[in-house]
Amino acid sequence: MIKAYSLSKEYRGEKVLNLSELEIPKGELFGLIGNNGAGKTTFFSLLLDLIEATSGTIEINNIMVHQSEAWKPFISAFIDESYLIGYLTVEEYFYFLGSLRKKTQVEVDSWVKAYEPFFKGEILNQKKYLRDFSKGNQKKVGIVGALIGQPEVIVLDEPFANLDPTTQIRLKSLIKEEAMNNGTTFLISSHDLTHVTEVCDRIVLLEKGTVLKDIKKTSSTLKELEQYFSN
Amino acid sequence: MAYTFRESLGLSKKKFFRAPQWELKLAVRILIGFLALYFLVAFLFLGIGLFFILRKEFPEQDPVSIINQWIIFYFGADILARYFLQNPPVTDVKTLLIQPIPKKRIIRGVLLRSLSSIFNWFSVLLLLPFCIVVSIENGATFSIWSWFFAMLLITGTNNFLVFLINKNKNVAIGVLLFLAGGYVLENYMNVPVISSIGIGFEALYIEPLWTTVILVFFLVVLQLTATFLKKELYLDKGLSKKKEKIIGSNLYFLDRWGPLGILLKNDIRLIIRNIRARQVVLTTGLFLFYGLFFFTQELYLERPAILVFAGIFITGGFTITFGQFIPAWDSEYYSMLMSQNLNYKRYLKSKLYLLMFSVVISMVLCHALLYFGKKVMVLIIGCGIFNFGLGALISLFSGAYNATPLKLNVKAKAFENTKGFNLTQFIFSIPKLVLPVLVFYIPYFFLGFNAGIVGLITSGLGGFFLEIKF
Repeated sequence: MIKAYSLSKEYRGEKVLNLSELEIPKGELFGLIGNNGAGKTTFFSLLLDLIEATSGTIEINNIMVHQSEAWKPFISAFIDESYLIGYLTVEEYFYFLGSLRKKTQVEVDSWVKAYEPFFKGEILNQKKYLRDFSKGNQKKVGIVGALIGQPEVIVLDEPFANLDPTTQIRLKSLIKEEAMNNGTTFLISSHDLTHVTEVCDRIVLLEKGTVLKDIKKTSSTLKELEQYFSN
Repeated sequence: MAYTFRESLGLSKKKFFRAPQWELKLAVRILIGFLALYFLVAFLFLGIGLFFILRKEFPEQDPVSIINQWIIFYFGADILARYFLQNPPVTDVKTLLIQPIPKKRIIRGVLLRSLSSIFNWFSVLLLLPFCIVVSIENGATFSIWSWFFAMLLITGTNNFLVFLINKNKNVAIGVLLFLAGGYVLENYMNVPVISSIGIGFEALYIEPLWTTVILVFFLVVLQLTATFLKKELYLDKGLSKKKEKIIGSNLYFLDRWGPLGILLKNDIRLIIRNIRARQVVLTTGLFLFYGLFFFTQELYLERPAILVFAGIFITGGFTITFGQFIPAWDSEYYSMLMSQNLNYKRYLKSKLYLLMFSVVISMVLCHALLYFGKKVMVLIIGCGIFNFGLGALISLFSGAYNATPLKLNVKAKAFENTKGFNLTQFIFSIPKLVLPVLVFYIPYFFLGFNAGIVGLITSGLGGFFLEIKF
């Protein structure tokens, strides 16, 4: 599904990302962890062609992201609040995203009903603009917005941060369900080791732009990671 | 830590110097400085001249008494202007709230800074030279200076009243109705409203002791404002964001336009729901009237090349003002748009259509200018076609060089609208404004008026076909 070859990004001669090879197969729940400055967001931005690589390539479904835009239908992302359009209402935002993926308003309306429990009645029919929602509620909108139209790959940067505990738990089961029912590939970065090890089948640990660990999840993974970060 | 007025000023200073592009802002400030100097001198002469003009026109009356009769209108207009334009300087207060600074001191800082507002200077600049002249010419030194002091106190009272009015439009309407009603009653029905107030002002001049009443009034308002601010100094009160009403939710007619309609719908919402974008559209409205200035002058009617300039502004106001910020309008969520299932060409096309659409609307609206004759109308239509085909394209292109992000829901202050201004934008004004004039003028010079119009239309259509081909 996603392949990166000798991918690197430099800022003023300093390498912030340097991946010799990384492959993410379809349907994988891929977790990306690392301290601040490890290169997680840089990797996502390269994947979404938001920044240009210094060297190397990255492919989605065998399409090089910097050469064609044909990968865009396969992928969706929620990185931060800048992925929301502040002057729209939640419904308008969903309709907008839906229309880009060929969904009618009726389809979006009936689809969004499935996420009512995740929203806990605080999101829909609120008669206010997205910019006036709290951070946590904005995040919920962004995450659900990324699911519209069943894209094959969904990128979520720090999805657990800013969410209340109930929603964190619901989000975990939501991700697992989407992956199970639709075979969606998830790329999730997180600072919360417990959540990320619980959700993902594979964890990649970045430090200073390079892959330090690439492990299939086992029962000892969380211990192993905690050990690493406490040193 | 004591939070003093000096520190409050220091924060304002840092905010200014550390703002992005502060050098440019400095240049703009210097420009404003010169403008202020100009006004200063103008007011000085007005203040001095006022006395002599009044004495010459009404030799049997004291100039001060004449002013007293009408000064209520000045103070009324002052309140209205402040109501619309003066923003209480409370923006930086939030961070200070949880610091060990007494609220009283924060409020004092806010109130003191509000006194530096330009509105307060008008009174001083106008009345100070006037009073100097009066004291020299009339010799009644004490009474004129106590009167001057009273006028300053009233100005200060107005300054604080604006806090209490707190954008309540009923008060503003009340002031307006009172002044208009007073004027009508006074002049047409012989009910002495304005003149009674005039007698009150006159009393301040004749009997300086009355000034103490004004002083007490001023202090009461000051105290009321301070208590009011103290009550409002909470995040859910005076410092809260106002809840907005949802507008433009039913734009379903655009759905018929397919994928482009979706993007257009967003752009229309962007324009009507964000302060910055609304400001730009209002300027466009002004551009429509800009033409009137040119077309009413006989001088220009014989110089069609200058009229082309006006025509470009009239039909292309929106393309120029809105177009120069085109990807920048979406900067708050640009990365999201770019990672969406949205082809970049389609995105650009929708923007171009928005600009072209605006040209069509302007062309329809400016049919009012038909009043100035068929020739003017033909010229404007020619300019419109140029803007439709080529002007919109050039504006879109110029916007691509504008890499400064834009805050959508933040007001651009007067004279501070410098964010998007840079050398590139200045250079781009050449094809936007000079090119159409040349396109008209060269054929016009050799072959006459109609050839000039044909020049405008063909270049416009040329741009249009270029756009369709790609």
